[in-house]
Amino acid sequence: MEPKVSVIIPVYNVETYLRQCLDSVCAQTLKEIEIICVDDGSTDSSPQILKEYAEKDDRIKVLTQKNGGAGAARNYGLRESRGEYLSFLDSDDFFEPDMLEEAYKSIEEYQADFVVFESDQYHMNTKEYVKNPWVVRRKDIPPYMPFKHRELTDNVFKTFVGWAWDKLYRKSFVTEHDLWFQEQRTSNDLLFVFSALVLAKRIAVVYKTLAHQRRGSGESLSVTREKSWHCFYDALTALRERLKKEDIYWELEQDYINYALHFSLWNYRTLAEPTKHLLKEKLCSEWFADLGIQGKPREYFYNRSEYDEYLELTGQ
Amino acid sequence: MAKVSVILPIYNVSEYLRECLDSVVNQTLTDIEIICVNDGSTDASPEIIQEYQEKDKRIIFLTGPNGGYGKAMNKGLDRATGEYIGIVEPDDYISSDMFEELYQVALENRLDFVKADFYRFSRSPEGKEDAQYENIDKTKKRYGELLNPSQDPSTIRFTLNTWSGIYRREFIEQHHIRHHETPGASFQDNGFYFQTFVFAKRAMIVNKAYYHNRRDNPNSSVKSRGKVYCMNIEYDFIRDFLMEDRQRWERFKYMYWWKKYFNYGFTLDRIGEEYKKEYLERMRMEFKRAMQKGELSREVFTELEWKKIESLIHNTEGFYEMFRSVKVFRKLLPFVPQSVKCFALKVMSWRRK
Repeated sequence: MEPKVSVIIPVYNVETYLRQCLDSVCAQTLKEIEIICVDDGSTDSSPQILKEYAEKDDRIKVLTQKNGGAGAARNYGLRESRGEYLSFLDSDDFFEPDMLEEAYKSIEEYQADFVVFESDQYHMNTKEYVKNPWVVRRKDIPPYMPFKHRELTDNVFKTFVGWAWDKLYRKSFVTEHDLWFQEQRTSNDLLFVFSALVLAKRIAVVYKTLAHQRRGSGESLSVTREKSWHCFYDALTALRERLKKEDIYWELEQDYINYALHFSLWNYRTLAEPTKHLLKEKLCSEWFADLGIQGKPREYFYNRSEYDEYLELTGQ
Repeated sequence: MAKVSVILPIYNVSEYLRECLDSVVNQTLTDIEIICVNDGSTDASPEIIQEYQEKDKRIIFLTGPNGGYGKAMNKGLDRATGEYIGIVEPDDYISSDMFEELYQVALENRLDFVKADFYRFSRSPEGKEDAQYENIDKTKKRYGELLNPSQDPSTIRFTLNTWSGIYRREFIEQHHIRHHETPGASFQDNGFYFQTFVFAKRAMIVNKAYYHNRRDNPNSSVKSRGKVYCMNIEYDFIRDFLMEDRQRWERFKYMYWWKKYFNYGFTLDRIGEEYKKEYLERMRMEFKRAMQKGELSREVFTELEWKKIESLIHNTEGFYEMFRSVKVFRKLLPFVPQSVKCFALKVMSWRRK
């Protein structure tokens, strides 16, 4: 029998957290699932842990690839998946036992192309769970379901987050629109998630905290952005190409440019020197212009303090 | 080919159906087909249709499980073969010369559609009819003029209905004009209305009333939670249709929000007290977004309406109070000068701050 959900987990050197992640996936109350773990060429004991779990639970399937990043690993898992729905999880996060069941119930009830659920952050140093109101901005979502991006009442790229793990996707929708993750080190999910957001005809939300994102671990990807500081720009331009190809860029241009500024500033702020300086040069000399930010009047920007930050950065 | 296909979407209207069917079968234009679409009625409506069908061979009886107004109408449209299409709702009735006269006008002017004025009526328990004449064009300026609605969005201002006229069937088919089919939804005539205006190149309105629209059904107020956002969902559908084409959206977006503003106000009036706050908040968010995206035009609203929209966006509580007090003073309103109204609005919003 075909599984209801294919859970796809890229695994790269996460021996410390992998067990907690896999335990919380194997213990899901929705049982008819397949768990595709893609080992992205780990050099620690992650492959042994995967093997151990695969022996205990025959729903686990382990795939191995040469190190190519989480995007490539997710695509590999996606190609191998057989489920009606797709869940893309990260190997250092962990989940409520009813996460897939709740998401599955909702996506079936609303015949949705994808559903989003709420999540919080688990801070390792303080062992605290912190609410994340910006992962699902309730006030900008219609009080009825399903809905489309046009019904969102603020920047569509800011109502949900551009990562995939807090969503459940209908595979036929993903296939029909030929959605793939970008095979680059960071920001490889943005194109997939935002393309799906604007192409979906039916979106639903589960207003329950179902996943916990681990924060404060040394090996987190945001640290490695040092080496991949340009990935966010590649993700933004790829998204713009897709929007143009779908002939919806005209209606989303203002949202896109506002988001591009927001995301550029966030990347700049969270980057360490000396790469930070390099990024600043690039933004001011080329990227702000190319992304359509440069030359827009103040009123064009939804968030005036971000615009002020832009003026300061560019020395205007 | 029949000159007019008349479509009746029928759901539990046994009380009114005979009067309606009598008015259709007795049309002076006899070359018509009458398509009765029974939408899963649970009362005597199907028997009444059958009884009429036995007496009149022009009646086509389609039946199926309940699927909502839009689906029933679409079934009728799919089945129609006539040169023109008319819609009669089965609790209303029509004057005997309606299709003869409208067909004549449509034919002479090669129209995509023609629409006429109509009556809204209610009937006392003793059977006394109280009818009010409704001008489809409140300005009364555009009757008899050859209109091109596809290039003239202001025509959206005519009183919204889909039944006071007839449509050339080839026009409907050429542009695949159909109703939105969400089951259980209402106001699906709004989407049909917008589509006909966006596509019609030749249209006319007539300063004479033929259609009698029943208004003594006060049970039409929105009670269930599921029904509260029906209007919003229909206008989501209309926006999707308009946005299929960038030029179409640019041309019609102002009138889209204009119509939406009044229909949301109408909904606010009808929903249960317990839903009003939430509904108003959603309305505020939608209009705030429209303002942010430059989709609202001051030009299409009156000064008073525009002030209300601004107060809605910036200060919901004040708007709600205003909405309620306006309801109370609505009867007096026509006698109050514009300047006084604006001043009163300002005072109300100050008080809130």
